[in-house]
This record gives sequence, C-alpha cells and structure tokens, in this order.
Amino acid sequence: MKMTVESRLPKLSTLSLVTMGLLMALQLVIKSFSVGPAFLKFSFTFLVAALIARLFGPWWGMMTAAVVDVIGTLMSGGPFFIGFTISAILGSLIYALFLYRQPVSWSRLIIAQVLISVVVNALLNTLWVAIMYKTPFWGLLPVRLLKEGIMTPIQIVLLYLLFKSQVVARIQQRLKL
Amino acid sequence: MSNFIFGRYLPLDSVVHHLDPRNKLMLSFCYIVLVFMANNPVSYLVIIAFTVGAILASKISLGFFLKGIRPLLWLIVFTVVLQLLFSPAGGHVYFHWAFINITQFGLINSVYIFIRFLLIIMMSTLLTLSTQPLDIATGLASLMKPLRWVKVPVDTLAMMLSIALRFVPTLMDEANKIMNAQRARGVDFGEGGLLKQAKSLIPLMVPLFMSAFNRAEDLSTAMEARGYQDSEHRSQYRILTWQRRDTVTWIIFVVVLAAILVTRRW
Repeated sequence: MKMTVESRLPKLSTLSLVTMGLLMALQLVIKSFSVGPAFLKFSFTFLVAALIARLFGPWWGMMTAAVVDVIGTLMSGGPFFIGFTISAILGSLIYALFLYRQPVSWSRLIIAQVLISVVVNALLNTLWVAIMYKTPFWGLLPVRLLKEGIMTPIQIVLLYLLFKSQVVARIQQRLKL
Repeated sequence: MSNFIFGRYLPLDSVVHHLDPRNKLMLSFCYIVLVFMANNPVSYLVIIAFTVGAILASKISLGFFLKGIRPLLWLIVFTVVLQLLFSPAGGHVYFHWAFINITQFGLINSVYIFIRFLLIIMMSTLLTLSTQPLDIATGLASLMKPLRWVKVPVDTLAMMLSIALRFVPTLMDEANKIMNAQRARGVDFGEGGLLKQAKSLIPLMVPLFMSAFNRAEDLSTAMEARGYQDSEHRSQYRILTWQRRDTVTWIIFVVVLAAILVTRRW
C-alpha cells in the first residue's frame, strides 16, 4: 500500500485556508450533535477530521486537529490535558497517511479506522484518563474496547459514504486539489 | 444542544475576568501539574484553598461549576468505586469478601481521587466561564508564537482559528434550520436504534458540508478583494496587554507551589 507524505508544507491558497477554517468550525459545531445513550455517546467529528486529512494532507491535518482539540476542550469547559491533543494529532496523521491523495477503498478505510480505534481511542485515551485521574487502566480498557468494537464498523461505513458522496467530489473539484 | 459551547461565557465584572487571557491559559495548564504534585492531606488543603480563592474571586456562583462536573460523572463514579473495592492491602481492613477489600488505604485513596477530579474540572470550568472564546483564541495564538522557530505557520493557524470561531454560531444556526427543514419533511432525529440515528444525520450533514463550502468560497473571494495575500506580512488590530494583576497572580501561584513542595514531604 502506497503512502504519500510531503516533507514540506504545501503553500495554501486563500480558498483552502478559509475552507479549513470553516471545516474547523463545523467540527466544533458537530461536537454538540452526538447521538446514542449517555454511556455510548457517539459524535461525528471524525468525519470532518478525516475530510481535512484527505483534502489537505498530514501536516495541515495534524495542525488543525491540535488547534481544534485545544480550543474545543477549553471552550466546552473540559479539563485540558496534552495527551488528548497528541491523540487527536495521531488520529489525523493516520487518516492522512491512508487517505491523502489515494483512491478510497474499503481496505484503506478499515485499516485506518481500526488502527485509530484500537491504538488511539482505546489504548492511548485510556492511558491519558489513567494518568490524569488515576482511573485503573485495566479496569477501564475493556469498557472502552467494547465501545470501540461497536462504533468502528459504523464509523467505517460513514467514512465510505462520505468520501464516495457527490458533495466531497464537488468540493475537491472546486478546490482544484 | 444544551451544552452549546458558545453560551457558556458569563459576563461578570471580577478580577478573574479582567486577567490577560494568555495568563489565564498558562495558569490553568500549570494548575494541572500542581494538582498532580499534591499527595497528602495538608498539600491537598493548600490546593483546595487556592482553588476556592480563585472561584470566590471570579464571583461566579457554585451551581455553574457543578454543571461542569456532570459530563464526567460516570467516569468519577467508576474510578472512585474501582479504587475503593480493588485497592492493594494497607492499613485497617473494614470489609473483606473474596477479592474485594475495602481498606483504610483504599478509602483515603478514593477520597483523594474524588477531590482531584473536582479540582481539575472546576479550574477548567473557571477558565471557560470567565474568558470569551475570541480572547481564548487570541491568547492561544499569542502563546503559540514561539512555534515559528520549528516552522509552524502560526499566523495562518491563527487566521483559520478566528475564521472558525466566527462561523461556529452561524453554522450552528444553519444546522438548526436544516434540522427543522428536514423534520418538516418527515426525518426523525435522535429516534430509533443507533444505526438509524446515525443514518438520519446524513440529511443534516450533506447540506451542512455544502453550505460551509459555499460560505468558504464567498469569504475567500471577499478577503482577496480586500487585499489579503498571506497571513505573515500584516499588522495586528487586537492587542493583549499584560497588567500588574497578571504579575500578582504568578506571585500567588509561586507561593502556592512552594507551599505544596514543602507540605508534600510531611
């Protein structure tokens, strides 16, 4: 599987810059539209993060992910912890490595999403919670893994639908990417 | 929708509200380190006193802080109960059954963890309630400036962030309008199974993406028409000033830090 990483940050057009800004706004908005019962809250921010990573690549993906994470937590009144920012950056990097300038395929989406769900959401985020609040790691991990097990298939299907949709194709065309 | 992120700022006239946002950001980051350092009753008392002092100085009523705790409630209960039931042996044993031990050590530990949760959540709630989003963004952009040395395009990111903040309320309104429009055509949001709920969001997401992109096109054209070329070679209109009260907060912080360093050895 081929991956594309650029060593230099590509120069941005004004349209790309503003689009990224609006996608960041969208991410902050979507955060408040979560579905499901309280113990299984499911939010759709990963869709926007994946879209930024796909359209603009790993560098911009990682940087916007970091900024959205910091500003999102600070403004929702949640406690800031650098670990979660690292998780957000890693998630964006994984999306970009598999999706930036690559054809969309089931295998790519499945590998990327499973990697993020297991390594970032389950292992790392549990570790951060454990460090921050002294929650027992091995006690929390099964709960988290179970949640990710339910969510990951839904996430993969939604990502596929998004990337194959007319909307994304049209945006990509107009951005001349 | 009740936890709408922009309605949380409380415009009150207090010392905490008038502090430099950069200062408040740095203080609340350092505060978490402070909480990590406390390890015995006396050091916890010191940090509780500091936190209560900060809350009182902000003139915000306690009810708002309790609201901040609600989203993390299950995690708090989960952690405290696990600590209580499965902590290693130590001190007096109150209750013993199979592999469950409630010991003096476990009891003290879970009280500490409970306090720690409260402190961390309260301080971050204080930052949110006493600072306007735009001020947080300006402060953050200013604090990120040293990252220029490692080639991070700080000015471009700051520009993106201010565009994002400006458009959060607009997109929020738009999302509500689209939801109502789709409801009027028979879509049930937030009903049925998980998969059905997720699927019902497609008629919300697709128009929202498209509308965000249309706005981006209009805005970028309008920006270029006003002479925007890049984010680096420009001046600033919003300027933050460091005042004496900001210096005073750091003196207080250092005193508290020293007190904790001393008391944690007891």
